Amino acid sequence: MKDRAKKASTRMGVAAVAGAGMTFAFPALAFASEEEAGGISAILPDMAEFIPMLVIFILLWIVLAKLGWPKFEAMLSKRETMIKDALEKSEEARIESERVLEEYRVQLADAKAQAAQIVADAKQTGEAAKADITAKAQSEATDMIAKARTAIEAEKKAAIAELQSSVADTSVAVAARLIGEDLSESEHRKMIERYVNEAGSFDAN
Amino acid sequence: MPTNRLIVKEEVAVYAAVLFDGAFEAGGQEAVLEVRDQMVRVAGAMRTNMELSVALSDPGYTPEQRGELARNVFAGCNPVLLDVLAVLAERGDAALLPRVLENYAEQLQSKLNLCVVDVTTAVPLDDALRRIITEKAEADLDTNVVLRESVDKSILGGIIMSTNGKRIDASVASQLDHARNVLKTTTDGGEC
Repeated sequence: MKDRAKKASTRMGVAAVAGAGMTFAFPALAFASEEEAGGISAILPDMAEFIPMLVIFILLWIVLAKLGWPKFEAMLSKRETMIKDALEKSEEARIESERVLEEYRVQLADAKAQAAQIVADAKQTGEAAKADITAKAQSEATDMIAKARTAIEAEKKAAIAELQSSVADTSVAVAARLIGEDLSESEHRKMIERYVNEAGSFDAN
Repeated sequence: MPTNRLIVKEEVAVYAAVLFDGAFEAGGQEAVLEVRDQMVRVAGAMRTNMELSVALSDPGYTPEQRGELARNVFAGCNPVLLDVLAVLAERGDAALLPRVLENYAEQLQSKLNLCVVDVTTAVPLDDALRRIITEKAEADLDTNVVLRESVDKSILGGIIMSTNGKRIDASVASQLDHARNVLKTTTDGGEC
């Protein structure tokens, strides 16, 4: 129906164009008849002019229908097909773009999820590393403290032993000097006698 | 120089017997004790003088040279001891002298029922102390005892008695050493 309306309008347009063409082709005839006849005849066609014009119109219409119209219609049809193809292609492109957009959205969502997962993993790894480093540092600190305490204890014992040894040496030296200087021979002999009586026997050795 | 233990032991016994019999024949018990005392000093000198000890056993010298060396070095000793020392040096047996001394002491006890006890004190002994010490030693050893006294101030006081490898150390110096060791090893602040 659309095509028929288009064709009718096209044909009317062609007729109008043809009438206008005749008017422009024979302008002197048209104005002459209007000036000679008055009244109603002013709006009625002059047969002598009308028939040739009609014939010419018909001939022109036939010529255009046979020669011009098919080319014009082919051009329109081609243009219609081209537009239709363009529309279909644009539609396909739109659908494709929507599909690609959807894919991009999905990929973006996946990427966001992966990024979030990576961040979470990195955070977890960082927490684990932090805990590990803290535990290691605490262990090392404990070991160092224990070693320091051991070293301090050893130094303390060594100092006490050295002091004890020094005191013992000094005490014995003082005692030896006192005994050597203060005892008389009679006291020595009493000591010898006491030691001989208190000493063990040769049999015991 | 023989290395067999039994042969060496027999050699040592022969040396000691010759020395003992020679000394006894020459001067009785007094000579025997004198030889014993001199042999103690000779053994001490060889123990402290390594050059002498090596020279008396050095195979680089002839036996005659070693014997001559021994006679010259120990010229003041009893003739019997001097002869035995010369023979020891000539045979390369000078290192056996300490064992000869031990065997000599055993023969002294077995043949004369006599034991020599070396006594070291910081002051000289008087007769009362000699009697007390002799009685104690005779009671312990169940034999006659002859004391050989020496004074050594370094023991500070008390007495050291020794015979035939047995020793009683009741000196002040050893007791102070013991006290020093106790003080050094005690870890409870010195309270024993």
